Amino acid sequence: MSDSISYLKQQLINHISLCFNLDGKELLESRLIRFDCLENALNSTERTIFIPTDVPFNEAYDDIYHAEFNQTTLTLWNRLNLSAYDNWRPISDESAPLWYQNSSGTLISAWNLFGNLMHTLTFAEEKSHPQKDSHGRYTAAFGPRLKKNLLEVPVFNDAAAVLVAGCSGLKDGNDPLYEIKDLVKPPYLALSHDCDLLRGNDKWTQAVRAYRTIIPLKKLKFPAMKNLWWIVRNCYAPERYYFDNITGLIELEKSFGYISTFYLINGQGGRFGARSSNDMIKKLVRTVPSDWALGIHYNYNTFLNEKNFIKQYAELSSLTESNLICGRAHYLKFDPFRSFQFLAERGIKIDESSGYTDKIGYRNGIAGAFQPYKSQREITQPIWELPMTIMDAALVKQYGDQAVNRFDQLMNHLSKVGGMMSINFHPDKFFNPEYKELNGIYHKMLITARQYNAKAITGPLLLDYLQPV
Amino acid sequence: MTSVLEDYLNGIADMLYISFEKYGKIVKLAINQEISMDIQLIDDGEEILCNQFYNRIYKRNRTIDQWRWEFAQNNYKSSPIPYARVMDESQVVGTQAFIPIRMIDIDGVFWTAKSEETLVDPDYRGRQLFEKMYNFLFDYARTNQFACIWGFTPAIKAFKRLDFSFPGKVDQIFIPFQNKSISLLLKKEDRSENVNFKNKLKRAVFLIAGLVAQGISMVRLNLNKNSPLAGLAIKRWDKPDEQCGELCKQFIQQWGGTTIYRDAEYMQWRFFDNPYVKCIVKGVYDQDRLLGWVAYNIGDDGMGYLIDLILIRADYTVAPKEIIKQLLIEAAIGCRNMGASGIRGWHANNHPFDKLICEAARDVGYYHIRKGHETVIYFCETGKVRNGYTNFDNWFVTRINTEGVHG
Repeated sequence: MSDSISYLKQQLINHISLCFNLDGKELLESRLIRFDCLENALNSTERTIFIPTDVPFNEAYDDIYHAEFNQTTLTLWNRLNLSAYDNWRPISDESAPLWYQNSSGTLISAWNLFGNLMHTLTFAEEKSHPQKDSHGRYTAAFGPRLKKNLLEVPVFNDAAAVLVAGCSGLKDGNDPLYEIKDLVKPPYLALSHDCDLLRGNDKWTQAVRAYRTIIPLKKLKFPAMKNLWWIVRNCYAPERYYFDNITGLIELEKSFGYISTFYLINGQGGRFGARSSNDMIKKLVRTVPSDWALGIHYNYNTFLNEKNFIKQYAELSSLTESNLICGRAHYLKFDPFRSFQFLAERGIKIDESSGYTDKIGYRNGIAGAFQPYKSQREITQPIWELPMTIMDAALVKQYGDQAVNRFDQLMNHLSKVGGMMSINFHPDKFFNPEYKELNGIYHKMLITARQYNAKAITGPLLLDYLQPV
Repeated sequence: MTSVLEDYLNGIADMLYISFEKYGKIVKLAINQEISMDIQLIDDGEEILCNQFYNRIYKRNRTIDQWRWEFAQNNYKSSPIPYARVMDESQVVGTQAFIPIRMIDIDGVFWTAKSEETLVDPDYRGRQLFEKMYNFLFDYARTNQFACIWGFTPAIKAFKRLDFSFPGKVDQIFIPFQNKSISLLLKKEDRSENVNFKNKLKRAVFLIAGLVAQGISMVRLNLNKNSPLAGLAIKRWDKPDEQCGELCKQFIQQWGGTTIYRDAEYMQWRFFDNPYVKCIVKGVYDQDRLLGWVAYNIGDDGMGYLIDLILIRADYTVAPKEIIKQLLIEAAIGCRNMGASGIRGWHANNHPFDKLICEAARDVGYYHIRKGHETVIYFCETGKVRNGYTNFDNWFVTRINTEGVHG
């Protein structure tokens, strides 16, 4: 079996075990599913599901289709063309099939399931689109999926749900199922907060406000005086809407029975660096209840820099008096081909950096955690990636007053196909008149999540659920 | 009989060319007059239908877990549960339930019932379904020796017919953090698109009054913040303190009257297992001894709610009112930090502790607003022997007495 097949099977096992009322290992290692070349699949007469592994991936995204499944709509692309084979017919919906079936009952996934999943999980899109922004990051705008409106499609989750439904039908000697209500667990929520600012009066924040005041002058407009009010306000009450929001977030989450992870940044200060003192970090650590998790927000200057990273990690470990195993890059500055190994070698076991700064979406096509793919010999890296799907400002910028509705739609979909939604809400933006458009959004998102019976989970808890790396 | 009537009405409808929809409704109404509807306590499996009925009428999304928590998984262990429903064929058209709740007075702990889920399909009103459901529940109350049935409602007409008494309204204590909280409290949202001078002026006055009210509250809140509590500590709970029940007994011995018996089991159900909103509960302690608590949270409407506040007198050196003030401030700042637009709590009557809370609340920036639902109480035979509890001023009531949708 090739490395990529073992790799994908392992990711499906992890995901199915977490998100369905099933043993993923038992399912994927049963005789019900075979990952094989298309030719073998076409010649088979077994009552088995075949996932063709040698169909070339096509990045044109010009054959997107929608299939109804378990009371939701799946968005699929790269449909297999089996029209030349008389004994294979599309089932479920002829124009938008999930399977091809022959007279013996053998099933083939109707779209390039293997290729699509490997493409997104291994950041292949980013290899073929090497553009970077001024921070050296890949953004949603660079990729073809944005133009095709595919960023918010959890291709991995959709495929896993279809496989579960297929196997469940076959196991009982029937055709594949299309309703799997009792098999899907309610969605998980991985809530997290990048604690970039714990006081609103640091010199960089105040300087940025001062600059914002005069920006309109460049266009011969009246200065934005309200920024002066924020400057004055945070001079006499520096923790209002900053540190105070930490307690607010905790109590809000507590009132829903949810928990979250706080990512703390320390080390070198500056425009892109840490802006909170170590005393404030200690105060935060004392405030966060033991059920909540603490993680490291990798400082901008630690990007692939061993010396700086070790220094920040050591200092934060000492401040928090804990072994930090979760992290996310400040400004999401990370390299999908080098950062995982770098982080894993330095003690990080769960990373949440794989998200977009400019849009919401599933950068790896998965609402959940996966092990990054490495090389021919070592197929997985000893670290889990839990891609960040939603960042506060991006959600509101993209959807405006429909932000919560869009979140509702995403959660509704995950409630049908299973998955875990990773959300980053900055404490200083969660409730702050300076960012009026974000007020109340987090609360409404939690109300929505409660409606779907969502369960919150943190990195350390997630590790207990997942298979050992 | 039914089919004869149906045929007859079919003929009339044909003659009058009544629209199909309207005709259907008339036929249904007429037939329902003829057949007796099925009224009884809920059977296993009917909870989903009842919950769907509630969601249909109120246009809400109450989950079945929320229904179960409220009616089937509360602290009352007896079966069947006191939930009456009316079925018309396979459709639920009316519901009325009790949430059994223990109260405590100087003579001990006793069962009462909170009236809940009063709902009749608008198409079936005027047929005394409410009274018929209540007949089942009155029997239930007698059999299970409930001392009284109580509740809070804006619609008292139906309760009048059942001999409930109406001892008074529950007022509000309230701090606005944002102007929108005032509209929320008054349930008046200005959606008028007419921007004439009168409306503009009205909005301006409303805005200024709101800002002034907020300003005054904030000044009072800040002036009273961080007053020393002479060695007492306020701690947030992750689970109920086992001393709750004992504290409740002492509270009644000291402050008199009757109130909900808040032992650890009740607190666990009411606050920590609440599938709507779990309360933030903070206890005030002298070393390890529990002296009281405050419970608050933010509702789905964005308003903060002061759910409960209770305190006993002990050997501490500060006046109880000072501790109450700090607990009220704790709730106000807690709600504000959660992003609430304001905080509101209840002030019900002249119970000495309720009066003290109201006084302390005014000192720290809360406003006392005389607006709220009517209290309805039905005194059962069993309860009439209890000393003085028919006087509502003996009842210590907070928002803990609500059904818990807002926490």
